[in-house]
Amino acid sequence: MARHVSRRETLAGVGIAALSAGCLDRTRNIAGRDRSSQLTLEINAPPADRDPNAIRIARHLAENLNAVGIDARINTLGLTDLRRKVLINHNFDVYVGQFREAEPFDPDAMYAFTHSQFVAESGWQNPFGFTDINGTDELLASQRRTGGDERREAVEDLQRTLCELQPFTVVAFPDPLTAVREDRFENWTNRQPLSVGGLLGVERVDAGDGDADGTGTESGDGTAAGDNETTAGDNETTAGDDETTAGDNETTANGLIGDNPFTDSGDEEGDSATLRLVTTDERITQNWNPIAAEYRRYGTFTSLLYDRLALVEDGEIIPWLAAGWERVGDSGIEVSLRDVDWHDGKPVTAEDVAFTYEFLQDTSMGTTESPVPTPTFRGRVSAVDEATAVDEITVRLTLDGVNDAVGVRALQVPILPKHIWEERTDVATIAGFEVDAETTEAVVTNNEDPIGSGPVRFVEASPEESVAFERNPDHFLVRADDGDDSTGDAMDPLAGIPERFRGKPAFDRLEIEVMGSDIAAVQAVGDGFADATVSNLGPDAVPRIGREADARLVTGRSGGFYHVGYNTRRAPLSNPRFRGVLASLIDKRSLVDIAFDGYAEAAASPLAAAPEWVPSDLQWGDGETDPVHPFVGEPGSLDAETARDRLREAGYRFDEEGRLIAPGA
Amino acid sequence: MSPLLSVVSSLALWVGSALLVASVAIIRPRRLYGLWNDLRDRLWEIRKPLAALVVVLIASAIGRSSLQTVSELFGLQLTWAIYALEGNFVAWLQSTFGSPQLTMYFSSVYVYGYVFLLAFPFLAYLALPRTTTVKRLLVAYALNYAIGLVLYTVVFAYGPRNVMPDMVTSLLFTHNPEFMALTGEVNEPTNVFPSLHTSLSVTVGTFAVLTRREYPLWTPLAAWLAASVVIATMYLGIHWLTDVIGGTALALGAVSLSYRLVDEE
Repeated sequence: MARHVSRRETLAGVGIAALSAGCLDRTRNIAGRDRSSQLTLEINAPPADRDPNAIRIARHLAENLNAVGIDARINTLGLTDLRRKVLINHNFDVYVGQFREAEPFDPDAMYAFTHSQFVAESGWQNPFGFTDINGTDELLASQRRTGGDERREAVEDLQRTLCELQPFTVVAFPDPLTAVREDRFENWTNRQPLSVGGLLGVERVDAGDGDADGTGTESGDGTAAGDNETTAGDNETTAGDDETTAGDNETTANGLIGDNPFTDSGDEEGDSATLRLVTTDERITQNWNPIAAEYRRYGTFTSLLYDRLALVEDGEIIPWLAAGWERVGDSGIEVSLRDVDWHDGKPVTAEDVAFTYEFLQDTSMGTTESPVPTPTFRGRVSAVDEATAVDEITVRLTLDGVNDAVGVRALQVPILPKHIWEERTDVATIAGFEVDAETTEAVVTNNEDPIGSGPVRFVEASPEESVAFERNPDHFLVRADDGDDSTGDAMDPLAGIPERFRGKPAFDRLEIEVMGSDIAAVQAVGDGFADATVSNLGPDAVPRIGREADARLVTGRSGGFYHVGYNTRRAPLSNPRFRGVLASLIDKRSLVDIAFDGYAEAAASPLAAAPEWVPSDLQWGDGETDPVHPFVGEPGSLDAETARDRLREAGYRFDEEGRLIAPGA
Repeated sequence: MSPLLSVVSSLALWVGSALLVASVAIIRPRRLYGLWNDLRDRLWEIRKPLAALVVVLIASAIGRSSLQTVSELFGLQLTWAIYALEGNFVAWLQSTFGSPQLTMYFSSVYVYGYVFLLAFPFLAYLALPRTTTVKRLLVAYALNYAIGLVLYTVVFAYGPRNVMPDMVTSLLFTHNPEFMALTGEVNEPTNVFPSLHTSLSVTVGTFAVLTRREYPLWTPLAAWLAASVVIATMYLGIHWLTDVIGGTALALGAVSLSYRLVDEE
């Protein structure tokens, strides 16, 4: 570490010399200058126990930064503290993290992430303080309002601009790896096993049909399977018969069993209908606020608590809380709601929906000097100008001239009950004192006992250890499925809902337990204490899944790309050329092999999960290296001298020991 | 819950048997018999230091999570400083000496050996005719915990396995993930400076040297176990060398303080 003689000592020393020499002016000219020192960059990342991949990226970058003469320090922080530091306080140099979209996403996700209008806001909107008003801002605005080829062109240019300016460096799109065991629940999708759709699509393995599912059931816990059989009684046998003939019938069969009140309340059934998940991310045991930026990773479980108007799964738009919608005029959408209740029994009305959109724009509802917008979903609600309730079940959204794709994104925000959240518009206080006028209660609340309308309800939690949810028997997926066959003549209350979600979820209870590390999580699945892992698995945990007899690896495609984010408010990170050199210090190819054990795709563009949007000049392809900022050196070994030359070309200087001198520090 | 239960029961079984054997071999039946007859009086005599230790342990169990929050918010984030100070020492230790046999040895020492190391001296010193030593031991334990808790709150740092997983394997939890259930109950991953495993082991080791006249057999055994636990904390990738040095200093301080606080009878 570079530590120089302090300025005070220097001044004391030269002071005597200067007085005796008498040339005070010259001394002032020299001593008055700030002394140069080595550039220090702090890289913030979660510890390996919480995220085994991010710390490896941070280590790799730190090593290469040190090799080119930059003093890189790794600061490990818990997930919540890291988010607070980066997203809320903007008090960081560099961070390593994941984007908050679980699935491949529409290009408009970049709007909040990089538009300069959000630099002063805290949350998932532009944490970099990035401003490129003529390029990025215009392209972001234009891709919102145009369609067809015009939009495609804007999106392609947007990616080129972002790749060139590097407010953040995309490292890789990780495969969402999950260790699952299938002796109790099956049908884990190979796309997004732990998304809302993935969890709702899971089926219960019925007792007594071990032949259908291979050896898993037989070698598994025979006692639990036996219990199941006794309670479910007659229904079970029919279901079993159906299943041997056709797998498709499974859904309805399971639905019927699930709805059976005797089965639902059956105590002796024990944990056989409990889906048990393990995670290394303790945040879901502490906080259930769907808009809290520090506590949500992808927001999967809060999405199960809070329905959205639409659910998008694998590109398929499913009307969810909304029964349907139609375009009205140029910029309006009229949304009609399904007949749904909140978990506290009050009905979900158009008033709640209108409130939600207004509330997310300004969680203080106009009571503070300047609005306090939501720290998440900001880009989505910014597409909605106005929301008004037309009648009890119809709401009209006036869009800000955006295209259909952006309109659909705007329908994907958690709908909040007005009667609860309108109490949370005051400025947040600690023991009655206002600490920060920029924050409302809604943003900082842990939202204990969350009341949503979703397919699961909150039951109990013990912070940092576990949380339990239960199936919501009044949810439209379940309630409407009851009378499905008999009342076929009226409007289908489940119109637009795919067969695989009807009567779901298949579990009565959902338990999430926090484990010490990814390895412990995989072990828990292998030992039969859990059905699936939720959080990321590192290179030491993945091979373990193969060794566990009953565990299987399920994977899919993720939108949550790992990236290195720069605080462009701070020199020299404010300089895009400097950031470009930093990007070329990251050996994405090797990182994919080492940090992800090959279970990731290196990428240059943040939209690489949706390859149809990526222009050919930004595609990674079979190439070994980044198309815009290729790694300096051979894969696995950095060419530090060339990297230093790049920095010199960009105007940076080094001292005689090869340390990069902090500009203006 | 089940993995925790199985680890705890196996721990109780092994440490219990080890205590039994060691008691007979080191304390000798005659003294054990004396202890049995005089147990009530001796416990009454040491009630104050015993209560102090219990209070510290309860305070630690209750206050740990809130102090952890305080540490997260206001603690000195020193992970980078520790790393800058010692660099890749732990990684070097692992890569130079790492072997499956050693991993097994150090893993069991870290969990089973450590518990035995802390439990046995209490029995042994309680069996002595005078209670001065056992009082000092209890006071030293309490001081270790109390000062350790304060330092944990002031210093917020992660251990090597969490900071450089590319170079330091988390050997204990990779090979025995079930232990994580146990250590997770008693430790936060951010509580690395100082190493309490080190400080308590060194405390016991120091007492063993100071009481070598009473228990000459125990001195080399304790020294061996204490040294093993100290090395294990680093070998397993849990602690930095800095934590170990800090833990040793804490131990020596606690022992000398305990001698000042508890006078010879």
